[in-house]
Amino acid sequence: MATPGHLEIRNVSKTYALPGRPLVNVLSHVGFDVDPGAFVTIVGPSGCGKSTLLRLIIGLDDDYRGDILLNGRRIVGTALSRGIVFQDHRLLPWLTLQQNIGLSLENSGWSAKEKASAIRDHIGLVGLSGFEKAYPHELSGGMAQRAAIARGLANRPEILLLDEPLGALDALTRVHLQAEIQRIWEAEGVTMILVTHDVEEAVFLSNRVVVMSANPGRIVEDVAVDLPFPRDRAHVDFIALKRRILAAMGEDERRPASPRAA
Amino acid sequence: MANTSDTIEGAAVEAGTVDRPTPRRFGFGRVGRAPNLIGFILPFLILSLWQIAAARAWVDPVFLPAPLTVVTAFWKMATKQHLARDFVASITIVGQAFIYGSVVAVALGIAAGLSRKVEQFFGPTFDTIRHIPGIAWLPLIVLWLGIGAPAKVLVIAKSVFFPVFLNTLQGIRSVEKNYIELAKVLTLTRWQLVRKVILPAAMPSIMVSLRYAAGLAWALVVVAEGLSGLEGLGFLIFRAQGLLLTDQLLVCMVIIGLVGFAIDRSMYVAQKRVLKWKQGYDG
Ligand SMILES: Nc1ncnc2c1ncn2[C@@H]1O[C@H](COP(=O)(O)OP(=O)(O)O)[C@@H](O)[C@H]1O
Ligand SMILES: [Mg+2]
Repeated sequence: MATPGHLEIRNVSKTYALPGRPLVNVLSHVGFDVDPGAFVTIVGPSGCGKSTLLRLIIGLDDDYRGDILLNGRRIVGTALSRGIVFQDHRLLPWLTLQQNIGLSLENSGWSAKEKASAIRDHIGLVGLSGFEKAYPHELSGGMAQRAAIARGLANRPEILLLDEPLGALDALTRVHLQAEIQRIWEAEGVTMILVTHDVEEAVFLSNRVVVMSANPGRIVEDVAVDLPFPRDRAHVDFIALKRRILAAMGEDERRPASPRAA
Repeated sequence: MANTSDTIEGAAVEAGTVDRPTPRRFGFGRVGRAPNLIGFILPFLILSLWQIAAARAWVDPVFLPAPLTVVTAFWKMATKQHLARDFVASITIVGQAFIYGSVVAVALGIAAGLSRKVEQFFGPTFDTIRHIPGIAWLPLIVLWLGIGAPAKVLVIAKSVFFPVFLNTLQGIRSVEKNYIELAKVLTLTRWQLVRKVILPAAMPSIMVSLRYAAGLAWALVVVAEGLSGLEGLGFLIFRAQGLLLTDQLLVCMVIIGLVGFAIDRSMYVAQKRVLKWKQGYDG
């Protein structure tokens, strides 16, 4: 079992400088803590810097101010202790499902036997047994996203980042995979950070929901979700939390339409 | 494509498209399916027209002998002359030229694709040499190496080299940035990145150029043998013209066409095998 990671994001700011244009404040003084084994979701309008923040945490970009600590140590570059699932599944089309998952174990230092069993276990975990030798083009969107989750988890990272992993799927598959992610999170006991703009998804899955706003990207609310798992989407408390988060995002459906829209 | 519902638990909701796609095929002789007869209609019509033209003497037989005369000529060339030897001579030159040219091209193409320095080092020289046609090199090379096979191998290898080199370079440069990012996340080393990500990503473009280059090499051997040397199909065809042996000339033409066709189809099959991961890939 993976040791769940403790992530601390402290006062992180990030600007993009494009030639001939004013500096863009993508992230401004963002800070929050993620407890070991927690499931934290970041919601916010598109362009508020959610993906940028995940890129900083995964270590693809180190040009920022502030600190990002995993288990008390500042993160440097990419590492196998941090996994990510991208919105596009990003499976390599020339590798079969099991080869794709195996790619994440190339530098794990494990024996061939350990690798094979990790691959088998994680294909089973995401419900794709029987598709080991399938190429990505032979998988449906939902299956490809499951495969990407298996790849993200196979090397037993301390933390898994998910950047709108269900964004491109149809509603039915989405709801189904949300339940799957919940089950996988409980089974693996790994710290997870999910980015989504689906508020219901956020409330369904998380211990905590961090609400962001754009221009500059910042945290406007940090909502604890204390409902028992598995969650009932129709429960009044569920709906109340959803409302509260939508209100924080400035998208409360109960508000009268703005005159502009009339 | 049919969306069969999956039988495995958990994935039952999703529309699985796991049945292997059957790509569109056309023409005849494509692998894996009974030959489509429609492709034979035109050759049959041409042959019939040829036969009729010869039988009615629309054309002087010196310029267009009857199909049967050509078959007889083939038999004579194969048994009494050295058609097989000439054929092997041509094939050997093409085979060697193709292998040398493409191996060097893929190797240098990878090097130049991975390093701007290497590309800049070779760039100006290659871009100049590339614009001198292979056949224009032949007179000089023959002065150096004589009229034997090596000169032709060298010249054809040069013609194979450039399309393969440029496509390899291009294929490597156009690897999606997303995949490079993924490799970083998975902490792949540079060598792992090249082997597992960059080369496979460049493979479609490399395979296309290899198929093209193989056809080109076969066409060029005829020209090269016609210009210098004393054997090979290209030599035979020009000799036949000189001696007004039109039937032998036609034998050579038909063989050249059929071999070219066979080379292209084999390359197609190879391409298909190497790129079996590509969805609906059809050459
Ligand atoms: N490489 C980049 N260069 C310049 N601006 C960028 C770059 N990447 C993202 N941005 C800008 O940063 C902002 C946040 O982007 P992103 O993190 O992708 O938002 P989100 O994931 O919340 O939709 C956007 O305004 C986007 O245009
Ligand atoms: Mg995003």
